[in-house]
Amino acid sequence: MSSTRPSPATDDIPAVTVKGVTKRFGDTEVLQGIDLSVPTGATTCLIGPSGSGKSTLLRCIAFLEEATTGTILIHGDPLGFAEGPNGQRSRLSPQKIRAVRSRIGMVFQQFNLWPHMTALGNVCEALVTVRKMKRSEAEDLGMAQLSRVGLENRAGHYPSELSGGQQQRVAIARALALDPEILLFDEPTASLDPELTGEVLNVMRDLADSGMTLLVVTHEIGFAATVGRRIAFLDHGKLLLNGTPQELFGEPRHPRLGQFLETYLDRGAATLL
Amino acid sequence: MTLDFGLMLDKMPEILSGLWVTLWMWVVSTILGAALGFLVATARRYGPAAVNWFLKLCVEILRGTPFLVQLFLLYFGGPFVGLRLEPVPAGLIGLTIYASAYFSEIFRAGFQAVPRGHVEAAECVGLSRTQILRRIIAPEMTMLVLPQCVNMAIILIKETAILSIITVPEMTMVIGAIGSQQYAFVDAMFLLAIFYWVLVEICGFLGRLAEARLSKFRFAVS
Amino acid sequence: MSFRLFELMLWAAGYTVVLSAISIAIGLIIGLLVCAAKLSSARALSLPATLFISFFRGVPLLVQLLLIYNLLPAVGIMVPSVVAAVVGLSLCTAAYQAENLRGGFNSVPRGLIEAADMVGLSPWQQLTRIRAPIALRLTLPALVNEAILILKASSLVSVVGVIELTRMAQNLAASTYKPLLFYAVAGGFYLVICWTVAGGGALAERLTKAGRA
Repeated sequence: MSSTRPSPATDDIPAVTVKGVTKRFGDTEVLQGIDLSVPTGATTCLIGPSGSGKSTLLRCIAFLEEATTGTILIHGDPLGFAEGPNGQRSRLSPQKIRAVRSRIGMVFQQFNLWPHMTALGNVCEALVTVRKMKRSEAEDLGMAQLSRVGLENRAGHYPSELSGGQQQRVAIARALALDPEILLFDEPTASLDPELTGEVLNVMRDLADSGMTLLVVTHEIGFAATVGRRIAFLDHGKLLLNGTPQELFGEPRHPRLGQFLETYLDRGAATLL
Repeated sequence: MTLDFGLMLDKMPEILSGLWVTLWMWVVSTILGAALGFLVATARRYGPAAVNWFLKLCVEILRGTPFLVQLFLLYFGGPFVGLRLEPVPAGLIGLTIYASAYFSEIFRAGFQAVPRGHVEAAECVGLSRTQILRRIIAPEMTMLVLPQCVNMAIILIKETAILSIITVPEMTMVIGAIGSQQYAFVDAMFLLAIFYWVLVEICGFLGRLAEARLSKFRFAVS
Repeated sequence: MSFRLFELMLWAAGYTVVLSAISIAIGLIIGLLVCAAKLSSARALSLPATLFISFFRGVPLLVQLLLIYNLLPAVGIMVPSVVAAVVGLSLCTAAYQAENLRGGFNSVPRGLIEAADMVGLSPWQQLTRIRAPIALRLTLPALVNEAILILKASSLVSVVGVIELTRMAQNLAASTYKPLLFYAVAGGFYLVICWTVAGGGALAERLTKAGRA
């Protein structure tokens, strides 16, 4: 249902705009002034070596971390901090933050399913407590989302009774249930066995094909190259490259990206293009 | 020097009343102690630093002194500050406060054991702070701390015996008195020991049963 | 409180420490034996050990003390009450320490024993060189915790007439009509003792951390 909903914004307003974002943890500057726009209706992949700051950037966009400086706009609306005319930031009210944030869906590396609720319970929780939907209505919607990720027959199972891949698909259904304008993925397959990675990537591929806006932090270079319309390469807290897969992965390659990709090719982990 | 079981039967009403006192004081102090402990743990986690510091001091004092001394202070010392309590209320208040200190530490560890990501996931779908506490943290924590809570409840059954020292008419006091009257104190104490042993084993068994039934709510290994 | 009375309290606090220390030491030895019996594959050894642990952990210490204090003379063993108190405390803590030790032995990683096997250590060498040192180190925090529990539990031996810290406070409270003062002072002494043991335990844990599995 969500994919057919007309987007409130036209395609020329980016789904996410990141302007001059820095993030400091103590003395280390994890993000050193990032500017990025994520186009609507397509998949953008953030790649880069461990510690490059790609997960931190994603968590800043979800407002799980507060950027030290800079602003983040979701379809033009500020999240967390509003920028005044002179560039000074002011914190938005919790209600406003929650309102903008509810337009974003987040999928975590560790799934983070609530262990005391069934798969369906996980998907319905926010529909009932936040959207104030009737339990029965929420369950109908929840079942529809579970069948979208191919898990309608696991609705009554608890997370501990599901495989890692199934848990991650429930987590995707949980995010989809709120009909988000954009879905963020934080290394969604990094804690899965190789044979379970495929089922999650397939679900993500279907979502991308249906025209959802996805922003994916991933180590799956193959997925990035085939599904991503834009690829952003982060290194040491800086956005080094940003372009189409052809621009980034074709020749000539940026030497730093080449070095990074080689570590994957050495392991035979990815087939490019 | 053996217990006359015929006489024991005559004393049945007294024994049953002792059993009743032991059981109700145990149940009530466990429930109140757990509730108070939860409040203390919540206040320490979400309250201002000064509150946390003050409550930590209280908890450490309660955990660093014997229950018997706390009970004497309350029961014998209380009247000197205008707090004159009968044995039963004194025992109940003493046991509840004592229990709350240990329960608060159990819940504090429980708060820390709920993975940060589960709270973040709730934030991301728009649950408010109170909704997160009520719907996510509290139930998850309950599963995590259940074994320690059962353990604490078992410790408290045994602590109720100490209430006999301030003349609360519970099992230890009733059976001890009957044993003395009949010059069969050892037999009486032996019976009493068996009684507590059975009670504790039943409680432990039920706890393990509950734990097994709840195990599927635990984390899935990722 | 006069200095003389404070001195009496201090002496009684020392008595509590000594009484507890002796009980913990005896309890550790009995606990090791019970633990070994419990881990044994022979049912004739493991069943009594299981019953021992279950009984002494399942019965209130006060009832155990009253039982032992009255049982010993009844079977013809005439000992001072302090001996009955030490026997009671030792048996009780032995049951808890046996369980702690068992937990320690069970959490020695299987791989370390396999590695010892592969380099040819005999079962006895494996026990003395690998399993016991690791298990004891893993048990250290539980041992410190148990020491604190026994220090507090030793207050119960006051009911069988041993003049330790709690009984001294009780006697002085009764003779001076100042229960608030003497029980508070007794509580203060217990606090100092328990916090010292906890602090020492934390220090010992830090010092042995380097060799931790």
